[in-house]
Amino acid sequence: MQINMIQAILLGLCACLSSMPGLGGTTFGNYTLGRPLVAGMVAGLILGDMQTGIILGAAIQVIYIALVTPGGTVSADVRAISYIGIPLSVCAIKGMGLDPSSSAARDMAAALGAAVGTLGTVLFYGTATVNLLWQHIGWKAVEKGDFKKLYLVNMGFPWISHFLCSFLPTVIITMAGSSMVDLMKAYLPMDGVAMKTLFTVGSLLPAVGVAILLKQVINKSLDFLTFFFGFTLAACMGVNLIGAAAIGGFFAVTNYKIQMLKLRPAVAGAAAYDDEEEDI
Amino acid sequence: MKKLSKKTLNKSFLSWFYGNLTCFSQEHMQTFGYLCSMLPVVDELYDTQEEKKDAMQTYTAFFNTEPQIGTLVVGMTAGLEEAKANGEALDGETINGIRAGLMGPLAGIGDSLIVGTLIPILLGIGLGLSGNGSPLGAIFYIVTWNLLMFFGMKFAYFKGYEMGGKAVELLVGEQAQALRDSIIMIGTMVIGAVAASWINVTTSFAIPGVIELQSTLDSVYPKLLSAGTVIFCWWLMTKRKISPTMVMLLLVVIAFVGVLLGFFDPGLSY
Repeated sequence: MQINMIQAILLGLCACLSSMPGLGGTTFGNYTLGRPLVAGMVAGLILGDMQTGIILGAAIQVIYIALVTPGGTVSADVRAISYIGIPLSVCAIKGMGLDPSSSAARDMAAALGAAVGTLGTVLFYGTATVNLLWQHIGWKAVEKGDFKKLYLVNMGFPWISHFLCSFLPTVIITMAGSSMVDLMKAYLPMDGVAMKTLFTVGSLLPAVGVAILLKQVINKSLDFLTFFFGFTLAACMGVNLIGAAAIGGFFAVTNYKIQMLKLRPAVAGAAAYDDEEEDI
Repeated sequence: MKKLSKKTLNKSFLSWFYGNLTCFSQEHMQTFGYLCSMLPVVDELYDTQEEKKDAMQTYTAFFNTEPQIGTLVVGMTAGLEEAKANGEALDGETINGIRAGLMGPLAGIGDSLIVGTLIPILLGIGLGLSGNGSPLGAIFYIVTWNLLMFFGMKFAYFKGYEMGGKAVELLVGEQAQALRDSIIMIGTMVIGAVAASWINVTTSFAIPGVIELQSTLDSVYPKLLSAGTVIFCWWLMTKRKISPTMVMLLLVVIAFVGVLLGFFDPGLSY
């Protein structure tokens, strides 16, 4: 499967919008278009196979379910994961004749997406560095009191950074990469150690994504119990994710009420009753 | 008595909503987004170019926080700037002190509550709806996330503007703490379910006739290996302080050795 020029250009534009710091804005760009689940749909539409795109995007999404960028440090770049990694995975899986809904296809996408995403951090630092130029222009404008120029600095000039660090890399890599699949097929047999390792890595990687998230939310070892409660619901009892969210919601409300009861003695007299009205 | 018009406040909010990180650099992360969103406010409050320059100078200081929850700070400074223009005893330095003091705590709350909890819950539900390739989950995420954030951020901006310093109570008070802990609880549970539904680590290790490791493990606790892998990665990152990228590389090594030893085998061919 080949990616043609128009498709590559569309993917490149999405990459400009979706990165952190992207031109689609934080909420709609980075946290919407940049999420692999959404990107799977968008890239799938561009490539003419939305279903495969979504399945693979979802598989990659698990690894990056909590991609936090504390203080502007990134361990992976969403534009690369989403608009280079997903299209290449679609090509690879179609080229190898794998069934997109098989776990092998998902493992393949996970491995490829993570590799591209890690290498993609170069693009993040590239964009941030080029932006220094525009900020320099911005400081001069502030000094002179030419404030209207700030809009151009903040929302206009960064397009140039993204042309260089998002658009071009995406167009070039997706176009060149789609022919790489034939090479892979020729030189790397599926039952060889290299491909077996690739698929195995793909099956292990989502654990890293979940672990990153746990690092965020688990403060004491008892919190693991909450995690395993959810895990058990799905693994042993077959509860789906919406069901798990509903059960979680029930426990959260209970927990909130207990916490509020504990706080009550601290609030004097009648004021205590007011709290209840602010319940969610 | 100067009063900011609704139109100006909206313009300032929208400018922040869109442009908080568009011109990011490692040196001045959200500073330019902040400058742009204060521009309409300063423009309306002050008449002379000198006063405007003076007011804008305040916001040239470094700013970086979780941009979505940080909207509260932008709203607050709009309120403070208004008070300052009306001659209250406030100077740029005080405003900057407040801004700088809030950056860190809000980043912590925003990262754990929004990025670490709300997004995973919504994505988790989305994954559940989209697992078979249906666009429903992706659309669910796009709609709920953007509506929640747009109106949530707008609410935070105007609350910050109206309540000033007291708005922070909404986020850090004891009641807020209880609410936050409860929401994080949902998140942790959903993540548990995501892990069980989407991680599929299996072993091919078997001694014919004696033991087939995978089915033995399954009878102990389903998905035991998947759960073990998560705990292992978590342990590496928190107790051993290894970066996520290094953990991924380590998994490549483990996978390679495991394949050589016959522990892992995806069992595929062209």
